[in-house]
Amino acid sequence: MNNSFGKRLGRVWSQYSYIFVLLIIMIGYAFTIQSNGNTFKFSHIAAVLGSQNTCIVGTIALGMAFVIITGQIDLSVGSSLVLCTGVTIMVFNMTDSILLMILAALVTGALCGLINGLLVGLGKMPPFVVTLGTMLIYRSLTLSVVRKIDPAISGSSSSQFAMISKKVNYNFLRMKFGTGKLKFGSFSIPYIFFVFLIVAILLIIVSRKTKYGKSVYAVGSNEKSARLAGINVTWVKISVFVLTGVLVGIASILQACKIGNVTPASSGQSYEMYAIASVVLAGVSMAGGKGNMLGVIFGALSYPTINFIIVSIPGLSVDIQDTFQGLVLIIVILIQTAGPAIKESFQRSRKRRLASAK
Amino acid sequence: MTILEMNNISKAFGGAIALSNVHISVEKGEIHALLGENGAGKSTLMNILTGVIPADEGSITFLGKEYPNPTIQQMEAAGIAFVHQELNVINDLSVSDNIFLCREIKTGLGLIDHKEQLKRTRQLFDDLGVDMDPSVMVSELKTSEKQLLEICRALYADAQLLILDEPTTSLSNNEIDHLFGILRKLRDQGKSFIFISHKMPEVFAISDRYTVFRNGQFVASGNISDTNPHEITSYMVGKQYADEKVYEPRPLGDVIVKLDGFTGKGFEDISLEVRRGEIVAFTGLAGCGASELMQTMFGALPSTGGSFSVNGKLLEGSIVSFMKNSVAMLPSNRKENSVVPDMSIMENFYLAEHEISKRKKPFINMKEELARYSAQKESLRIKAGDPSESISSLSGGNQQKVFLARWLNIGADLLLFDNPTQGVDVGAKEEIYKLILSFAQEGKTVIINTLEIPEIQKVADRCVVFYEGRIVKIFEHNEVNEHNVMMYSTNAIETIREAQ
Repeated sequence: MNNSFGKRLGRVWSQYSYIFVLLIIMIGYAFTIQSNGNTFKFSHIAAVLGSQNTCIVGTIALGMAFVIITGQIDLSVGSSLVLCTGVTIMVFNMTDSILLMILAALVTGALCGLINGLLVGLGKMPPFVVTLGTMLIYRSLTLSVVRKIDPAISGSSSSQFAMISKKVNYNFLRMKFGTGKLKFGSFSIPYIFFVFLIVAILLIIVSRKTKYGKSVYAVGSNEKSARLAGINVTWVKISVFVLTGVLVGIASILQACKIGNVTPASSGQSYEMYAIASVVLAGVSMAGGKGNMLGVIFGALSYPTINFIIVSIPGLSVDIQDTFQGLVLIIVILIQTAGPAIKESFQRSRKRRLASAK
Repeated sequence: MTILEMNNISKAFGGAIALSNVHISVEKGEIHALLGENGAGKSTLMNILTGVIPADEGSITFLGKEYPNPTIQQMEAAGIAFVHQELNVINDLSVSDNIFLCREIKTGLGLIDHKEQLKRTRQLFDDLGVDMDPSVMVSELKTSEKQLLEICRALYADAQLLILDEPTTSLSNNEIDHLFGILRKLRDQGKSFIFISHKMPEVFAISDRYTVFRNGQFVASGNISDTNPHEITSYMVGKQYADEKVYEPRPLGDVIVKLDGFTGKGFEDISLEVRRGEIVAFTGLAGCGASELMQTMFGALPSTGGSFSVNGKLLEGSIVSFMKNSVAMLPSNRKENSVVPDMSIMENFYLAEHEISKRKKPFINMKEELARYSAQKESLRIKAGDPSESISSLSGGNQQKVFLARWLNIGADLLLFDNPTQGVDVGAKEEIYKLILSFAQEGKTVIINTLEIPEIQKVADRCVVFYEGRIVKIFEHNEVNEHNVMMYSTNAIETIREAQ
């Protein structure tokens, strides 16, 4: 009885660990807020939902999950975000058109991803190396042009791209959408979180209900078998990079609307690592072939919550937050991988004891 | 002298009993065949013997010493070596480096003394009569040589009892003879072997004694010279096993498969016509080009010349375009080329069909998929629980049936089966033969590539023998026998002709 309950708990943990992780972190967050003498309210959670680390990194992480499920990696996402946001803001500043701005973001993102995909898929190069290269290239290209562009287009005379506030649609994009919230009675949820949520739901459907989604898993699980079942492995590998590029494009729209600017030298720094970490926290296997897209929503929420905890502890510097994020990541993975091994060795030694007692 | 005695061994995994009160004893200087279908408990017993898993009950005595709680290290030190089916040699090291792995000879400076290692390896190979260059990279060895290397490695560590788990699966007949020659020599030097195999001719060629398990229970043991393959097979499958004839002549349709001067990697100038409803077997030694030909006929390898047509249509391009033109291939080596290990039975089943239908219907209709699966499950008699369970929960034979179902599901007319009964137990093999015949009766054309001649006698209308990438002989059904086929596949016929 007791044993079977333990087993069931173990199974639920291994399948839905991302829910527990978020729950534990949320409880920690509530605890720190309370101990500061404040009451933990929905607005605290809303702050997490609307933070750039949730929505922007989260959207990127959804694509990263597909890339990782095929057994690959994309290190260029932080840099492509900077490049995309630069283009997106410039197109907005030039045209003042929401439609053209969205189009520019998606196309630029898709192109960045396509370059990665073609180099990996047709060039047969390791994705780690290819995307390490494009990570350097995309950021450096953006950095090298930002100062040379007319401030009327880049929107800033310093080294950044910024939305020009005199444009007609500025108010709608920045104030109404980017920082605005949808009110439900006493709570409110930022609009940009819904963008992330809708994209996430679409991708969950793609991963579970479409034939394409299944082929992505098959390629990551056993490339040879997938090929011999007729799957065009090269095409699938390219497609996940393009998908990630498009999602980076969406993230760049969120960046433009929420933050209003992008600094090529510093924005989007380490986003690839945060995205990978969210995917890992979601329980997606780095070896490919396994993982639940639903988990990425939870993974994407877990990380920013840790930031909020650290910020709300008085006397703790923001500089330490990566330490805590790193620790949480390692502990979660430790439980996932070492847990079963520890359990097994424990069971074995007990069997041995029983056997020798006989 | 008895060197190994295992008595009253029982083992259960959760509620499932894997072994119940079994025993085995091995003499010094004998080759002992451990027989049984997949799931009979052979591997479990061997894992217990080598300390990989503990037994629930029972005793193990090796060389006069009792091992109540054996560990891997203890059993290794005692002189038991497990030569696994998957080769555990390191491809990027030399032969002698592999032999001395983890017990390297060092110079005064603490560096590896390659010279001394090479010298001792050469000595070891001379003693054993193995003809292999110790300085060559393992990646350049043939599979049989890797197998030998692993055996030599165990012997260098002074193993007294070697467990060989289906050592001949990936070897050609020549290579098997070579391996057996060395095993006999070692046996005469006093080494003992536990030999696990599904292939009856091999068991009778090499073993001295046997033990048979069925469903985790001891069934029989004795001297090989006192028994025959029929008796052993009936011990293994339980019910009186009749070597029944499954083959039935059928009326054949028009020519639907045409190969004309077809050339590719490993084979050249292949011309052949196959009729609708016909079953043709390709055979030859390992590396004769038949498997490569089959893969090229599925678009998995590129062709470099000649033509291949099905139903009058020339085929080329990607695998999917072959599939759309009614060609399906069940590849050899199921684990590497068919299984998608992280996916369920259902997902493994429907993957291939999706590649044809996804343009028109990108979404998965679970109801439709379930109906298709249940139909195949019933007609192929797949023993499986819930289709959402992992593919690895099935036995080898049932996995193979799921992959047969995968290809029947695309409605192909030409079925290419590359070594379809590899790693499948005796009972399931018979079922697969019957299924192959029933496909042909339904008007499908089947080409199987196999090294096992009894298999050809069971199903094939014609047998095409390959030697070094070319067709050397085509036999009609009633001309097929071990002797005839071997004469051509080893090219002995040419040697005889030259002598005359």
